Amino acid sequence: MTLKVHVLRTLLSGAALLIGVTFLSFVLMVYFGPPLEYTLLGKNPTAEQIESVRDALHLNDPFFARYLHFLHELVTLDFGRSIVTGQPVGSLLARTVPISLGAVLPGFVLGNLVGLGLAMVAAHHRGGWVDRAIMAASVSGMSVSLIIVVIVAQVGLCSPLGLNLFPSRGWRVHGFGDYLLYATVPTLTLAVVALGYNTRFYRTVLVEAAAADYVRTARAYGATPRRIMLGHVLPNALIPITTRVLFTVPLIVVSGSLVIESFFGIPGIGQLTFDAIQSNDQPVLKAVVSLTAVLFVIVLTVSELLYNAVDPRLSHP
Amino acid sequence: MNGHSAALSHSPWQRAVGLLIRDRVGMSALLVVVVFAFIGLGAALGWWATQWSALSGGYYEPMSRTHWFGTNVNGQDIFARAVYSTRVAFEVGLSVALTSTALGAVLGGLAGYFRDTWLDALILWCKGVLDCMPFYLFVAAVAYALKGSDYGMHAAMIATFWTTTGRLVRSEVIRLRELEFVRAARGVGVGSWQILWRHILPNTAPLLLVQGTIVLVTAIKTEVILSFLGLGISDGVSWGRMLSAAAQEVTAGHFNNFIWASVFLFALVMAFNLLADALHDAFDPRALR
Repeated sequence: MTLKVHVLRTLLSGAALLIGVTFLSFVLMVYFGPPLEYTLLGKNPTAEQIESVRDALHLNDPFFARYLHFLHELVTLDFGRSIVTGQPVGSLLARTVPISLGAVLPGFVLGNLVGLGLAMVAAHHRGGWVDRAIMAASVSGMSVSLIIVVIVAQVGLCSPLGLNLFPSRGWRVHGFGDYLLYATVPTLTLAVVALGYNTRFYRTVLVEAAAADYVRTARAYGATPRRIMLGHVLPNALIPITTRVLFTVPLIVVSGSLVIESFFGIPGIGQLTFDAIQSNDQPVLKAVVSLTAVLFVIVLTVSELLYNAVDPRLSHP
Repeated sequence: MNGHSAALSHSPWQRAVGLLIRDRVGMSALLVVVVFAFIGLGAALGWWATQWSALSGGYYEPMSRTHWFGTNVNGQDIFARAVYSTRVAFEVGLSVALTSTALGAVLGGLAGYFRDTWLDALILWCKGVLDCMPFYLFVAAVAYALKGSDYGMHAAMIATFWTTTGRLVRSEVIRLRELEFVRAARGVGVGSWQILWRHILPNTAPLLLVQGTIVLVTAIKTEVILSFLGLGISDGVSWGRMLSAAAQEVTAGHFNNFIWASVFLFALVMAFNLLADALHDAFDPRALR
């Protein structure tokens, strides 16, 4: 198959996924969601009031018209206003997303880098006691719940019962010093939680890449372990690594921030979503769910296209 | 079988069981799981921990002879709650693991056997769509859509956890489909369904066992996070609910809820993780590790 065919296929499956995720979001959040008209109206509304709100919300339209209306909201990024605060959902997102990225990304990067480092050490000493110790530690890490780590971090680092080095809640960031003060504990928490899974994954990938023929050949030619790792093993492990990182970014940034932010009182997208879940704020919830899913499909499709572009088997058939 | 003539006389299952019995870590993990299963079973049958919701003491009592793990803010016995939660963990874990593994086996089997047909494309599309939904938000959305039902959490986990099993089963079925015993069956005129159910899917059992254990762990861990977010068990008790209560009270110095829910949760999840590893090693003929 040529590059062009591959690109077309990738785009087509991306489009199919887009239809799927938007449809699923629509059915769950809009079509089956709890009735909004009673939330919007006060007590004892008249039948006419209910009817007019239902009309305004397009609740009386046929199924597909409502789906198309939802798609229109999605494309124009106009999800209406939050039921709770009355602010436009778009501006809520614009305010919270940067905070979440600042609070959550460092931990994500740290967890991956340390995991990769530990995995390289383990893979280098494969079968030895260093390897076994690292792998035993990562299974233990995989068995600790995020909630446990969060509570330990808060008591140990942010409360008078522990070291009391950091503020226990909040996000009053006006400069880099403040940022360090508020972001350190969430960063450590996220890095620790992901470390077990990351180390294990990276070790598997590295061991598999190290079993390849060209690595054996390189070793036979007398290449140093360092050169084999950096020149042969890592580059060939890059595709599974990139795929995993891409797959976990939305998971960590959105899902991880749900717990972290609601616990540490960080006013990011996770806190916004948490509050929306608690208060049935449908416009906010449907925006977060559908936008994350759509963004994920787009990232996935673009990365697939990039693989197509760099794969020599496709560009030089 | 690496040319071991002795191994030829054993089935893969006998060989795996033999390897598992010699795996000390795996057997200890199995023992811990069995103990927990017994605790959970006893709680389910009303042998113990029946008083988990009774107000049996003062609030925040320390550990004592009457209240082994102390009491919580309402004066409920933390030992009874931790024990009863074992039952809840097994209920959530087993129901999600069994259902999603069965779903993954059937859908993955169909996709693999009818590879490159419309059925395969449809199943892969469903899997792709579910994989693209951010998990906790999906649970929130399902819980939102199933408002009032206690099984929104279960439904969402089953709907998303089958996809990994399905993908693994699909590639295994694609491999098995081309093996000689399947070709032979096809050659003597056995129908497609018969081949898939009787000859191919039984051979994916080791994979399903390992994957089912991993899903069970994930389900138990996920319940904890969902209960913390207010999307999980809505009434009753679970380690997740104990931990989310603990989150409010640890800074005031009340640690019993936190310690005991954590100990129970960690011990069971760790045991299941080690058991999954041991099963994987026992069934993997390549023994890559």
